[in-house]
Amino acid sequence: MTITSRNWRLWVALGCALVACAPAPAADTAPEIIARTDQVRNPQQPFHTTVTLIEYVSGRARDQDTLAVFAKLDPQTHQFRNLVQYVAPPRDAGKRVLLGGGALWFYDPASKASVRISPAQQLVGQAAIGDVLTVNLSADYNPTLLGTEGIEDAGRTQRKCWHLQMKAADDLATYSRVEYWVEQGTYLPIKAEFYSDSGRLLKIAYYRGFSSILGRTRPTQTIIIDAVDKSLATVATSTDYGYQDIPDTWFQRDYLPHLETR
Amino acid sequence: MTRGIGWGLLLLAVAWSGAVIAQSDSDLSLIPPDSQSPPKVNDGRAGQNIYLENALTAVSLRDDLPVPAQPSYDWQERLLLDARNTWSVDPTTRLVFSDRFNVRAESDLSLPEKESLVNDLREAYLEWRLADETYLALGRINLKSGIALGYNPTDYFKTRTVSEPLSADPTVLREDRLGTVMLRLQHIGPRGSVTVAFAPRLRRQSPIYSNTGLSSFDPMLGRTNSDNRFLLKSTLALAPNLSPEMLIYHDSRDTRVGFNLSLTLGQSVVAYVEESAARRQDLIAQALDFGRATGALPAGAPDEPPPSGRSLKNELAVGASYTTPGRITWNFEYHLNQAGFTAADWSRWFAIGSVSGGPAALSNELWYIRGYAQDQQEQGTQQAAFVRADWTAASGLNLELSGFANVDLRDGSGQAQGEADYYLSDAWTLGLLAAGDFGSRKSDFGSLPSACSVLLSVRRYF
Repeated sequence: MTITSRNWRLWVALGCALVACAPAPAADTAPEIIARTDQVRNPQQPFHTTVTLIEYVSGRARDQDTLAVFAKLDPQTHQFRNLVQYVAPPRDAGKRVLLGGGALWFYDPASKASVRISPAQQLVGQAAIGDVLTVNLSADYNPTLLGTEGIEDAGRTQRKCWHLQMKAADDLATYSRVEYWVEQGTYLPIKAEFYSDSGRLLKIAYYRGFSSILGRTRPTQTIIIDAVDKSLATVATSTDYGYQDIPDTWFQRDYLPHLETR
Repeated sequence: MTRGIGWGLLLLAVAWSGAVIAQSDSDLSLIPPDSQSPPKVNDGRAGQNIYLENALTAVSLRDDLPVPAQPSYDWQERLLLDARNTWSVDPTTRLVFSDRFNVRAESDLSLPEKESLVNDLREAYLEWRLADETYLALGRINLKSGIALGYNPTDYFKTRTVSEPLSADPTVLREDRLGTVMLRLQHIGPRGSVTVAFAPRLRRQSPIYSNTGLSSFDPMLGRTNSDNRFLLKSTLALAPNLSPEMLIYHDSRDTRVGFNLSLTLGQSVVAYVEESAARRQDLIAQALDFGRATGALPAGAPDEPPPSGRSLKNELAVGASYTTPGRITWNFEYHLNQAGFTAADWSRWFAIGSVSGGPAALSNELWYIRGYAQDQQEQGTQQAAFVRADWTAASGLNLELSGFANVDLRDGSGQAQGEADYYLSDAWTLGLLAAGDFGSRKSDFGSLPSACSVLLSVRRYF
């Protein structure tokens, strides 16, 4: 048997199957895994970052947006509150989105109007607002550990992962169900699939660009693939992380016009 | 048997894993190949927005109006420079500036006229942070209130502020409006906010402007600051998803009380309600009083249609937005203005205006009342329905589509508009807008001089 790239994957699959049969370490329950992965994805102290979103159509970059994101954990809900400001392109510069206490507000400096919006409203490209905002999945979803699998990450490197299924715990969750793959040991998120209420696969996300950010290794890039129209993808890259003291008043809708611009 | 089950499970696991890998391979191939390299972060300025726009409008006018009206332009060409900026003067002080400079030509203006150049100073104010999240602002400020999309009963500083808009879209009207010179104090706390604003009388009230009677470089304070006005409003964060806003507004005519409230329902729906109530005159009485006071109508102008007396009048906007799985956001709203035209008012308006050979002064008065409602940004009729759709980034085509319809529920007439913006690049945007009024000849929108219009625009951002 000649080892071609195709049957090489078959051998990998066999290996993965064997890995899949191996039991998960007993110390990690599904909630613990999700909680620790949340800590990997997001610094738990108030921070800011710059998110650049590039929309791809059939593999070609079509549009680019830059957002400044300010995030702070709410000690009562264990969920992040977010303040997002559009930095580019120029036609959108200055627009702001606030997620505070379960409500989303959109502010346009041209009209001086704050309008309440739903999480499903599109921010840019394939990214709904709920995709770009900093969220603790453990606060919005009930996870179940399905087993252990070996999967390829975005760079086609094999990763030994926990496979978790998460179901929306409340209305604040953006998706009805999420299939989630987390690397064992590092708690790095590798892949996620997002499903609608009807069970339709809506989006596939891959995480990559693992770098040392604010004291630990975190993913800096999320690739969001539209599972309905697979020619569409959005890549979200986070840069310029920094801890920042963010007062609670920033998350009032009346603060939106006062946000210091960068 | 056990061995057979074991082999079966292994084969099943292999097959299943193969399927997983096949799926994984398939998914991985969807990752854009050139997305690995870090993006060039666009170092834009969020506080600045400057663009140059050229807009050409063609209008189709009705020639058989039920009530004769003053002639209007049937084409217009505008070049406008729009600038907004915020500067930090020091760590606690910032300067906010917003202005639009227009150069225009149209069929009812001969060039060059002073009306060909019009500057709209929308905002110019200083804001100081007095203490933690306590702000004092002084200058011309666009103070916007309300949460509905099509009509804002609690947006008390909207009156007489809209300046020569390119579109009838309510969201655009909010952008093309003048601020009011005021002193505003605002405190924002973790449980809500309180805002107090005082706008002083600085000028005599000016008549309703027409597009051929605009001043070139006048800040038009006679529109925004012809009365002493007070506003007190407070937002209370009662629960995570519940933060109503309450407002009290006072000027020399009346005192109004309002509130607005919104709720997120699941992932795709937002419901909202906005209400204002006051004991006041109806629209007709206000218009006639204003017209006589500013000299636009003679002192002895007849009370036609007959106005009603002062009484409690409600204004209401209630609605919901819904975002579809196809990423279209719909807004549906019901609007009520008890000060607006009743069915009897409309009947009278058409009856006296349609008299063949009737005095021109009377038809001018009738149109003046409707022009007054537009100038005040107040709904002319009592009940209306509003629907709007937005489709952003349609299938990655760099295209934004939007449209709305505003329907008078009394006679079924309405106004509809569709707009497409195509983003050629980050800097360049092409726009196409088509609007039309529909309804019978003797209906709210069917009686308007304009039947339909098309606007082509090109915009360059800097």
